[in-house]
Amino acid sequence: MPFVKNCKILMRQEVAPDHYRIGLRAPEIAQAAKPGQFCMLQVAEGLHPFLRRPMSLERIFPDGVSILFKVEGEGTRMLANRAPEQELSVQGPLGNGFPLDRAVARHLVVAGGIGVAPCPALAEALVSVCGKAPEVILAARAQHLLLCEEEFRQMGCTVHVATDDGSVGARATAVEMLERLTPAPGTRVYACGPMPMLKAVAEVAQSRGAECFVSLETQMACGQGACLGCVVESRRKKAGEKMVRVCADGPVFDAQDIDWATHNFAYDR
Amino acid sequence: MTAKLQVNLGGLVMKNPVTVASGTFGYGQEYDEYFDIAQLGAVTTKSLSLEPRPGNAPPRLVETPAGMLNAIGLQNVGLEDYLAAKAPFLREKNVPIIANVYGNSADEYAELARRLEQAGAADAIEANLSCPNVHDAQTARGPVLVAQVPKKVYEYTKTIRSATTLPLLIKLTPNVTDIREPAIAAEEAGADAVSLINTLLGMAIDPETRRPRLANIVGGLSGPAIRPVALKMVWDAVRALKIPVLGMGGICNASDAIQFLLAGATAVAIGSMTFRQPDAAVQIIEGIADYLARHHIGDVNDLVGRMQDEG
Repeated sequence: MPFVKNCKILMRQEVAPDHYRIGLRAPEIAQAAKPGQFCMLQVAEGLHPFLRRPMSLERIFPDGVSILFKVEGEGTRMLANRAPEQELSVQGPLGNGFPLDRAVARHLVVAGGIGVAPCPALAEALVSVCGKAPEVILAARAQHLLLCEEEFRQMGCTVHVATDDGSVGARATAVEMLERLTPAPGTRVYACGPMPMLKAVAEVAQSRGAECFVSLETQMACGQGACLGCVVESRRKKAGEKMVRVCADGPVFDAQDIDWATHNFAYDR
Repeated sequence: MTAKLQVNLGGLVMKNPVTVASGTFGYGQEYDEYFDIAQLGAVTTKSLSLEPRPGNAPPRLVETPAGMLNAIGLQNVGLEDYLAAKAPFLREKNVPIIANVYGNSADEYAELARRLEQAGAADAIEANLSCPNVHDAQTARGPVLVAQVPKKVYEYTKTIRSATTLPLLIKLTPNVTDIREPAIAAEEAGADAVSLINTLLGMAIDPETRRPRLANIVGGLSGPAIRPVALKMVWDAVRALKIPVLGMGGICNASDAIQFLLAGATAVAIGSMTFRQPDAAVQIIEGIADYLARHHIGDVNDLVGRMQDEG
């Protein structure tokens, strides 16, 4: 059950250049929220920018949530400039969330860049619900863009750091790191990051017989299933079911449900 | 004293003058989590076609100044699934249903209207002759919408009219030189009301990738950016017609809605604003009631067309 609430900003941190964390007081939303779900945040009081911005829940606390985001344009810039004690209109929780299953033998979280945003809440839930801290592949372009490492370690996760330039951890991509960790049948991979990374992660998981769930991000208008603007193509056959809504059918999908071959990566930035 | 809010939109009795714009409200259930949708004057459905449609390839959305472009391409569940899975919920809510329909031919529109009426799954038909994201005909100069050709509007309306006794609304496009021409054509062919405006054609390019922002290249512009254009077209159409107008285009609050009533719209539809504020339509109903009380007006119909433009 989603809510629309005015939520007080409790804290705002610049965690890396152009990367921010905002903590919100939102008891009703937090109590209803599951890891992998998201909220739609209204960034401006006026009518421009017009649409809310979808933001993954980084952490879910008893009386609030935190979000982690990168400044990509005008809307996220305005959000980054909001100060503590101000209120934000928050709609949520929305979407399906990650599956949590105690029977899974090995949990492997793959976070690429700002795709780390929903992963701390996931790792925390895997510890508390499944009784098992996941292994986390934390990949970024360089050391200064590596986020949440300390949070994962505090939860008891084994963290495998990979950077494109080798400034910290292995000089490797998230996908190369995943191959090194040899996922196998019984492993469940959870991935969030750029679309090309997700496609490659899905291929590695599938070729090794591991399950794979991906959290997708697309442009949204309504955030809750009505406008059909945020769809991606699935492998479902029926005309009425072919396009799946990232907001309402996702944002988490079984990677085998997505028709990666038809996705036009040229539009992704 | 509570003001009377009931209006009659070409035979469709609405308990207040506010509905939602097709395509912005799913099939109603999507928003019932946020408010009781029975509070609306009517629910307007996503466009229904005889067969399910997958719609356009993504990306389908881009935000623009005070608005957005979309190129959904009429993705919908199809008539059968609507009748089996969507209409029963709306019927149970006891809210009037304006079923928006899209066909590949005049006969398909007529069949949709006939079957919706037979099934008791609509209280009015809104024929979408104006979706900018699908094409009735492709010419060397680009797509032509039915609603861009008054003669075709007349033919289509006549065919649909003969298939249903339900109130028939014809939804028109603003992408014309003179909105009065297709509006008059609809009226002469027996429409009970016209709905306007659909979205304005537009596009956006990403300078970094040099690609269009929509896979369909062009899309329909909506949101507050288009409101002044919509208001003027409603005003133009109202003065040329005897049948009522359902006004829409960028309405965000009660004061926007009242402008459309003053320009002559009998009722209004809330579109993209619902994306931003899920309960925008009910807030607007309350805001209209407050306005009437504040101005000591006993009946919302006394506002319709009452812009004071003399002296």
